[in-house]
Amino acid sequence: MTNATTNRNSGKRANGAKAKSLAAPKRSRPSTVLIVGAGFAGLGAAIRLQQAGIKDIVMLERASEVGGTWRDNTYPGAACDIPSNLYSYSFDPNPDWSRSFSGSAEILDYIKAMVERFDLGNYIRFNQNVTDLAYDDDQGLWHATTEAGEVFSARAAVMAQGPLSNASFPAITGIDEFQGHKIHSAAWDHDYDFRGKKVGVIGTGASAIQIIPELVRDADKLTVFQRTPAWVMPRPDFQTPNWQKTLFRKLPASQSALRKGLYLAHESMALAVIWNSPMTAIAERLGRWHLKRQVKDKWLRRQLTPNYRIGCKRILVSNDYYPALQQPNCKLITWPIARLSENGIRTVEGIEHQFDCIVFATGFEVSHSGTPFPVRGSGGRLLAEDWQRGAQAYKSINVAGYPNLFLTFGPNSGPGHNSALVYMESQIDYIVKGVRTILDKNLKALAVRDRAQQVYNADIQRRLAKTNWNSGCKSWYLTEDGFNATMFPGFATQYASQMEELDLKDYALITA
Amino acid sequence: MAKIDLDKMLEKVKNTQWALSDIDWDAPGADLITEEQWPKLKEFMADLMWIEHVGARAFAAMANKAPTDTLRQLYSYFHAEEQRHANAEMALMKRWGMLDGDELPEPNINLRLVIEWLDRYSDEMPVYVLGTVVPMLEIALDGALCKFLLDTVEDPVCHAAFEKINDDESRHLGVGFTVMEMQGHGATYIKMVQMAARLMDPRLILGIASYFPLLNKMRDNVVAMGLSEEKLYECMRKFEKIGGRTEDGRRNPWFQIIKLHSRWVVDRDNRLYHKPVDAIVKATSYIPRKALPAVPSWVKELTYKPTA
Repeated sequence: MTNATTNRNSGKRANGAKAKSLAAPKRSRPSTVLIVGAGFAGLGAAIRLQQAGIKDIVMLERASEVGGTWRDNTYPGAACDIPSNLYSYSFDPNPDWSRSFSGSAEILDYIKAMVERFDLGNYIRFNQNVTDLAYDDDQGLWHATTEAGEVFSARAAVMAQGPLSNASFPAITGIDEFQGHKIHSAAWDHDYDFRGKKVGVIGTGASAIQIIPELVRDADKLTVFQRTPAWVMPRPDFQTPNWQKTLFRKLPASQSALRKGLYLAHESMALAVIWNSPMTAIAERLGRWHLKRQVKDKWLRRQLTPNYRIGCKRILVSNDYYPALQQPNCKLITWPIARLSENGIRTVEGIEHQFDCIVFATGFEVSHSGTPFPVRGSGGRLLAEDWQRGAQAYKSINVAGYPNLFLTFGPNSGPGHNSALVYMESQIDYIVKGVRTILDKNLKALAVRDRAQQVYNADIQRRLAKTNWNSGCKSWYLTEDGFNATMFPGFATQYASQMEELDLKDYALITA
Repeated sequence: MAKIDLDKMLEKVKNTQWALSDIDWDAPGADLITEEQWPKLKEFMADLMWIEHVGARAFAAMANKAPTDTLRQLYSYFHAEEQRHANAEMALMKRWGMLDGDELPEPNINLRLVIEWLDRYSDEMPVYVLGTVVPMLEIALDGALCKFLLDTVEDPVCHAAFEKINDDESRHLGVGFTVMEMQGHGATYIKMVQMAARLMDPRLILGIASYFPLLNKMRDNVVAMGLSEEKLYECMRKFEKIGGRTEDGRRNPWFQIIKLHSRWVVDRDNRLYHKPVDAIVKATSYIPRKALPAVPSWVKELTYKPTA
């Protein structure tokens, strides 16, 4: 797994100071901007920087292909749960989306086409897994060291490695004892033939509810292990009619209008999802109606009914998940898992459920306090240490003590109700403003002030206290201590408006 | 028994899990069941298994209402553990040749009524009602019946299984009594008023109407097995002793009610109670099975097979 690779490498690094001095790393000439990751965020940033006339860019990608999460998540049924016309960049509309909610392959094609359309290929260095990112106060440069032993330097650095990029097997007792096949949803084994097999799926989150309806068709017997039921809403998914594609091509304003409409519709959902309002009760009623309409058995319905407020955890959309669970070859298990054994999964009701293959749809390692690789700021301070008590940033994008460093999907930038790409566009445009300022004013360092960051976070945490995310359920949005360093407590419009202006009085401007 | 740390208890529960496959169900000793014992034991085991299953369903209702995440997790585990006990008891029945193929044994009519009630109303009952009734059921029915069984049956596999079951049950009781004490805290008066209002609830009256005859029916079954009913009463008195060991516990109004009721049950001279309840037991035995709705699907989750 990618995760294991990273850990192994940090281990090597820890006792490898001597090794470093023996083999001098290959260094390149410093660039203007260094971007870590060539997924949606990294590529979007490159496009907008390029459009702003900043073309001295280097992008470091750990894999041999672009696409990030959409390159890695290729499990059967993988799709976006935000309509494609909103889950795409406004500066690169695609009139040809085949469905209202596109599958992962089509989204990956869109990302790859972006590289071609905007001629980004020259910026990308593939197979460069960043293992260390350090700021040099004297030179005002960021140095990224990669696993391949190269060092890339730049005046500004953009961390676009993604919040959900490290898939991990859950820490269940006995996981290594299981002798059958193990598959993680984010690293799918396309060579495994599920036909005639007894398959277990652990997890009933966003990936699982897409995988289950696909697997139930092939597997001889499918057993689904649920810990907490999610709110599942109907999914208005349909094939795009040809006339619509033609209309969008001939009259691009019509596609922008649809995007705007979808945006506003999702914005209105914030009222149900983020705060407890009368809309919340309506949304819960819709969820219960969907369940009642699709599940007739009273006990199964009880097992699938969430006992927390809607919005507290991620809301799922699916039309075929509940029907799949009721197929004769499918069974839902809600008993807690005691352990994994040689042949399968032992649940607390004392039964060992035996499998040929177990699918772990258990999500990602979301780092609330750590960083995927050591990030060293001014004076050698470590970001993981600064974030030990919960991650913090200024407007989610800059961190005090880390000049010229920009984060995409940094702390408190997550949406619960709208397209992640809408938020990403705001972040990218802010990055362009930041880099533009560094260049125009010929700054060595654009450093956000600690005080500005504190004031911003005090306000964010005060607002978060009133949201559904902080209403008592356990979710990956929160740390073990219940600190929310993930979500933005407001409308996407509010987020966009805070990112609109780069307020220089919140920054120290250090010239060379 | 001092008040326990629920977080530590949850850890302990997670670390002491066992599975049906940990027991060798084909080990020698099944022939120690005498021919005379067999028919009555069959009926007794079926009832015992169903009581575990009924307890499981009550824990499921409590899990949904638990005031803290730790209690919610504990009740979710206890729900599954009660099911495990039922599964293990079914495996014993299988070992002793008491199952008709893969068929589930039929619950007696009083249990059937309790199942019906739990399915319809348990999720709507306040957690402090269930939180008091369940320890009573566990001690009086489950605990007592298990003890009788071990006194009567010599099969070592039965003893091995019940050693594990009893370990689980002691943890269930520890939590049950701690929660009862927690509920005793605070404004007793408000609780009394709330409780009085609850008593007017026809759903609860129905529950009581199925619970009372169940106790008397179990007593009849115990006596039919040739066991002293005094032992059942001893266990019920244990509820009174442990539940009332602290002031908080005694202040829980539901504890007081259940205690009073258990005193009626153990007092065979209390004709005012036993005459009508025994009459109900008799009357319920005439209820045609077909008159009851189909069993809820959670009932079909039972299995004697260690693997699936």
